[in-house]
Amino acid sequence: MRAFVTVIVDSIRLLRARALFWVSLFISAFVALIYLSIGFDDRGMSLLFGAFHFDMPFMTKGSEGAELLYLGIFRNFIVAWWLTWIAVVIALVSCAPILPEFMTEGAAGVALSKPVSRPLLFAYKYIGALLFIGLQAILFAVIVFIAIRWRVGTWNPTVFWSVPVVLLVFSYLFSVLVLLGIRTRSVMASVMLTLILWLMCFIAQVGESVCHSAANHGIGITGGELSEEERASWKAAYPWARLPYVVLPKPGETTSLLDRWIVLGDGDNLGNSTFEAMNRNGRFDNLDEGVKDDLARHSPAWVIGSSLAFEAVILGLACLAFSRRDF
Amino acid sequence: MDGPAVEIEYLRKRYGGFEALAGVSLTVPRGTVFGLLGPNGAGKSTMVKSLLTIIRPTECRGRMLGKPIGDRATLGKVGYLPEHARFPEHLTGRQVIGFSAGLAGVGVEETRRRTQALLARVGMKEWADRKLSTYSKGMRQRIGIAQALVNEPEIVFLDEPTDGVDPEGRIEIRKMIESLREEGRTVFVNSHLLGEVEQVADEVAILSKGRVIESGKVAMLTRLAKRFEIRTVGPVPPALRQVLERGGMRVAGDCISLDAEDAAPVQPVIDQLRSSGVAIRELREAKDSLEDIFLRAVQGKEAA
Repeated sequence: MRAFVTVIVDSIRLLRARALFWVSLFISAFVALIYLSIGFDDRGMSLLFGAFHFDMPFMTKGSEGAELLYLGIFRNFIVAWWLTWIAVVIALVSCAPILPEFMTEGAAGVALSKPVSRPLLFAYKYIGALLFIGLQAILFAVIVFIAIRWRVGTWNPTVFWSVPVVLLVFSYLFSVLVLLGIRTRSVMASVMLTLILWLMCFIAQVGESVCHSAANHGIGITGGELSEEERASWKAAYPWARLPYVVLPKPGETTSLLDRWIVLGDGDNLGNSTFEAMNRNGRFDNLDEGVKDDLARHSPAWVIGSSLAFEAVILGLACLAFSRRDF
Repeated sequence: MDGPAVEIEYLRKRYGGFEALAGVSLTVPRGTVFGLLGPNGAGKSTMVKSLLTIIRPTECRGRMLGKPIGDRATLGKVGYLPEHARFPEHLTGRQVIGFSAGLAGVGVEETRRRTQALLARVGMKEWADRKLSTYSKGMRQRIGIAQALVNEPEIVFLDEPTDGVDPEGRIEIRKMIESLREEGRTVFVNSHLLGEVEQVADEVAILSKGRVIESGKVAMLTRLAKRFEIRTVGPVPPALRQVLERGGMRVAGDCISLDAEDAAPVQPVIDQLRSSGVAIRELREAKDSLEDIFLRAVQGKEAA
């Protein structure tokens, strides 16, 4: 336990010493402030603490629309863009040197000559790095939790789901970064290859989804109806398109779980409310049940479980490489 | 506890086709200062790192502090200062020592107490709370030594401890090593500075190309290499020089040297010089330094 606390404290010191951590935290605070500046009153909504006002009768203070918009901004901009893309990239770049630096000559010797096993030391270092994104996600969730209460008038503890979700997404990618860092000892190479893998995950998910829609619902890439012959060839191709999707982690789908887990005041989840809101406004009239089912056809256990299985394998390989390496 | 601090029966390390340690055997008695000498690339650091599990030996049989080499719990009783130690620049000296203590399982309060004492001991009290990025090489080395001692180890491995340290600092480090011996600790010093090792070590081993080619007590090794030197006024005449060299003596200019435990074998040489009309300027008893022994051992090994 003492060794664990020591490594964690060391990780916090390391984070504090990195300029990117403070830059990232500053931007986080800025984004949170912008979010906090969105307000609602009896006539509609305002931006930048009332500097700009828009009359919107369906988005007045305490209305479902206001809550939906406020949480929607949190989900679709802050979580989907900032926390799962920009902040994760910054965190990956910041955390990338942790193991390669640790493994340089003269740096690892002291830690490895202590009565802490290498797998444990590896695990402590890994957990320490997760703090980077964890602290930011917690800070954000707390601000959003308070903001919702202030702006919408309800306490919504489900926003704290964003913390484990963001941590999961980061951990999938960081496991790859760690393995590459140990193998190559190159910060640049490991970051670049991890970003490529991230892109591959995205392509695999989109490919599987398109293939599934075409094979099961007869919807082509352009949205048109497919012939039976075309549908049959998509069905034949589907197992191949599914394979990379199954094997690779699912950062995009993991983030999408927030649509199911963030619950509004009426008990409905964010995803359903969004669909209903879209349909109420006449947008996406052709959004049929098939597509809706398609988007939610994988259970959270499947999405997280298969991603964690990938992460476990990668971490196992990284731990093995770390344990067997001479320093 | 009885028995040697380190007892290596057989230690071998291969990197692909390169043999860094070719089956080394070594014994380090408890409570002594042991010097491991050798030219660059001899395998000194590899040996220490093998004992500390920093590298994985190809084959290793032996015991450290009574336990098989590699036993993790035993490492809690061991201190280590790596060669070219690179501690994170963003940490202060106090934090570096604290990190080492934490990994060794020393309690928080005890760490605080020991850190304070060690900072005073290595002369870094004033600099304790400044970042390492502001330290000189010598100051980093002092902090490195302090972190190696924070778990009050039974054995301390110091790999090139005076590397980058000024002459005054070297004397202090030497005194510190002596004080560690007085406290009953075993100190294992890797160094290429033979003069320093000679002043402080009780025993040495000379490593060359992955093999121990000489080992023993410093006093014994230097006594074995006892000799006499005779200096003449002007160079030794060539005819006499040939005669002396045939008799196993070494002649260089005006200096004749012969290996001998006492003065008896010197007398006939004096007689020869006098009968040849060569005046004697100086006669003295000389001992080989560790450096002489080291060079002879390494060169002899290379010639073999």
